[in-house]
Amino acid sequence: MPATFIHRSILTIGFLSLFHAAYSAAQHRSYLRLNELDFTYLPHDITIQALISLFIIMYGVLHVAGDFKEIKASAELEDKSWETYGNIPSFYTFSHRGGKCSNTNSKTSLEEME
Amino acid sequence: MSNKTKNEPVIAYSELAIRNNLSIVEYCRTSLAAVSGCTAGVLGLTGSYGAIFFILAVTSFWLMLLCKAGVDSWKKFFISRKSLLLNGLFGHFFTYILCWTFIYGMVHVY
Repeated sequence: MPATFIHRSILTIGFLSLFHAAYSAAQHRSYLRLNELDFTYLPHDITIQALISLFIIMYGVLHVAGDFKEIKASAELEDKSWETYGNIPSFYTFSHRGGKCSNTNSKTSLEEME
Repeated sequence: MSNKTKNEPVIAYSELAIRNNLSIVEYCRTSLAAVSGCTAGVLGLTGSYGAIFFILAVTSFWLMLLCKAGVDSWKKFFISRKSLLLNGLFGHFFTYILCWTFIYGMVHVY
């Protein structure tokens, strides 16, 4: 299935969520700095949000990038007939005897009919 | 020669399809390296924890890729699945380090 609007919006949501986690982490650091506390680890909710948004972005990128094609050379030709594949436009001939033989298409017969 | 062809029939691959698949994978892996670097910077990982996080991210992405291609039918789209995991790992690691240090500086230092 090709990339749909849903996958694009999933990707956007993932990026926004990651940005939000980054902003929260920066806020936490400034809070620690103002209260003169030492940094040990981030709050768990920020960690979990960052990890989940990473997985959401992975999923979105994988589906937005496109579909895989079958690498076997015969895969493309399976649903085509020999007439389609053997069609060579250089060998088309339009000035053949058919125009002379048929009465309906030739100029003289048109004039005679009038 | 004739015995070999009897045992393993020669498979013709379409080069265009292989190129298409590998370029999709390359695109995904580059963006994965950047995004996982950003996540590692946000989490404030330092030292070897960052390298371990990169390995975890790449492995889980590889599993997701195989899930998308189909657990049984990945052979239809790729010749080798080991090369999907290992190709260009170091090049992506440098992208990862770039984003990691940049976001770490943005979030935790300033």
